[in-house]
Amino acid sequence: MSMIDKILDSYKPLIIIPVIITLLALGIILSGGLKEGIDLKGGSIAVLQLNEPVSNDQLISMVSNSTGVPADLITSTTTGNNQSTVQIAGSAADVVEVTNAINSVATLQSYNSVGPLLSKQSMTQVYYALAFAFLFMSITVFIIFRHIVPSIAVILAALCDIIIAIGGMSLFGIPLSLASVGALLMLIGYSVDTDILLTTRVLKRREGTIIERAKDAMGTGFTMAAAAIGSMVALYLVVLFLMPNAEILDQIAAVLIIGLMADVLATWLMNLGILRWYMEGHR
Amino acid sequence: MAHEPWYTQMVHGGSQMNFKEFIKDYRVILLIVLLVASIGAISTLGIQQGLDLKGGSEIQLQLAQPVDTGTMDKVTNVLDKRLNAFGVSDVQVRASGNQSVIIEIAGVQPQDVAKLVGTPGVFIATIDNQTALNGTDITTVKPYSVTGNTWSVPFTVTLQGAQTFAKLADGKAGTPVNMYLDGNLVSSPEIGADLANGVPSTDVQVSGTENSSAQAQAQAKNIQVVLESGALPVSVSIVGINSVSADLGSQFKTGALVAGFLALLVIAIIIFIRYRTPVLVLPIMITSIAELILILGVASVTRWNIDLAAIAGIIAAIGTGVDDQIIITDEVLKKGIQTKRTITALKFKINNAFFIIFASAATLIAAMLPLAYVGFSRGATGIGLLSGFAFTTVVGVLIGIFITRPVYAKFIVLLLGKDKKEDKSEEASVREKRTGKQPKKGKKGKGKKGRKQ
Repeated sequence: MSMIDKILDSYKPLIIIPVIITLLALGIILSGGLKEGIDLKGGSIAVLQLNEPVSNDQLISMVSNSTGVPADLITSTTTGNNQSTVQIAGSAADVVEVTNAINSVATLQSYNSVGPLLSKQSMTQVYYALAFAFLFMSITVFIIFRHIVPSIAVILAALCDIIIAIGGMSLFGIPLSLASVGALLMLIGYSVDTDILLTTRVLKRREGTIIERAKDAMGTGFTMAAAAIGSMVALYLVVLFLMPNAEILDQIAAVLIIGLMADVLATWLMNLGILRWYMEGHR
Repeated sequence: MAHEPWYTQMVHGGSQMNFKEFIKDYRVILLIVLLVASIGAISTLGIQQGLDLKGGSEIQLQLAQPVDTGTMDKVTNVLDKRLNAFGVSDVQVRASGNQSVIIEIAGVQPQDVAKLVGTPGVFIATIDNQTALNGTDITTVKPYSVTGNTWSVPFTVTLQGAQTFAKLADGKAGTPVNMYLDGNLVSSPEIGADLANGVPSTDVQVSGTENSSAQAQAQAKNIQVVLESGALPVSVSIVGINSVSADLGSQFKTGALVAGFLALLVIAIIIFIRYRTPVLVLPIMITSIAELILILGVASVTRWNIDLAAIAGIIAAIGTGVDDQIIITDEVLKKGIQTKRTITALKFKINNAFFIIFASAATLIAAMLPLAYVGFSRGATGIGLLSGFAFTTVVGVLIGIFITRPVYAKFIVLLLGKDKKEDKSEEASVREKRTGKQPKKGKKGKGKKGRKQ
């Protein structure tokens, strides 16, 4: 008996594993909170190409002196390639002041500032976009399967993915930004692919036993997950080494890696478990 | 047979199908034609790159209060003129909603941006420290003229403005008019004798003399810009700047290409590990590349900006594409459909695969709709910045399910249909054993479903 067979045999208690991870993720989110990116919280971010070695502390004091922003609101990190990223929290600092501050030691590569008004608008849009994306996805799933329990199983799995992904963001300090919200939206649509595959194969097919159909689907689903996670890891590594300042891609890749890994558990332990329970009850 | 969906029509002929038929199929021809058209469009029209790839700045301005379309047009016109006068050629000013304006400037270093729009422009002209004119008094500014070292900028003011000015300028020929933009003195031309007679005139001009004609030219241009920008009907403030240098932009481009290549490589390895059939890797790679070319082709024709967000969308679309191809391959390879006719079985399998594919595509598009809606209704402010991501994903998914996936399915049927014929007897014996649930072992795996463990 292979490991997969053993796992398939005791499917009911296994449903609890993704549930526990989801609850843990919820706990992390509630206790640790979520960082907000500059684009949602407001503030400024400057990427500098250093012409000479400068410490982060020096950069912070230079920017603080020039802009009048207290030094404790400014952070600076070195990202390799002689580049530094300076973040000024809370205020949209004047680009001219920042340029003047660092002119002697570095050149400005990119500058991004968001005022409080814009950030407030964006934040509202983020909540609406996430809520409606999830709602539309759920309606679509109901239309596809037209059975209440299997549809709810798919939607619950997607909900676990999103919560675990947000928990991962909280744990690893990935900020809630336009990019990571984009990744979450993508996850809503993308993570249900394997759930749809599983539900279609198990619910709508007649050949073989439920376990056989589930194992068939598992083979396909694991390949899909491996391809998706693998390509996101490739993207993440390239961003890490080649373009550390492409934060959009970095955050999208990181959130999707966490979410898709969560999806493997949610799909094959929880969704499959609920589905089998339901199918066996209907015999 | 007449009303069956297009994606099962390909199965006709099943195992007898050969390459010639494949090439003649209308879906294959459609794909080839669209690929050629896309490559043509990309090479002639080019691909419009987003600011984060080509370098440039995006500035988001907020108006003091919501305005009607007419006022908004005036605001964007004035800003456009002002930036053009500064010698910035590739500039786009567009309204977003009724209270924000987005300015895009290509090829300008981040530090130069603020000089261009950092001063939103409140214009005041004073005579003896009394306000003689302000920005709202100016109605139109005419083109400047330079004669030798002397320059002049004619403009018209409202009657009310003209009266205030005339009263203050009465009898003060030769007194300087101090012109301030946002509190900074930008010019102080002297009042001409013709304006110092106390008679209100709506046609006025400022003029001056510099040391050289080049200086006169520059000063005239400067004054014209100041006067024009002073004519903004509402005050504006910068609420967001997003600026990327061309260096960083090209770094992003290289990175995206390397990432795309590596992602394809990873997928190729995984496909190979799973199916142990090198011949399967190729069609999946070709399909992915075809999808990339078609998406870029659409972007090229619609003048859609390809920025980092759009690149993420392309990755998402191609990622779901690979998933779909895995589903098709597995369905076709799957054993256990109890039928004597291979053709019917194949048709059934393709049908099954496309049910899952359409369902997945529908959920992904459903999840992207809110984002696309914000992007189209509000323009690219806030979360609308991600509309490129939503648009590219949706376009990519649609291209996939309607154009490239059917061709892939047809190809797989062609490829594996042949295999089927060869090991037909073998297959029959497997089918008998199936009820006993014997794990297949030692199969050479060609065209076989490689089970996990």
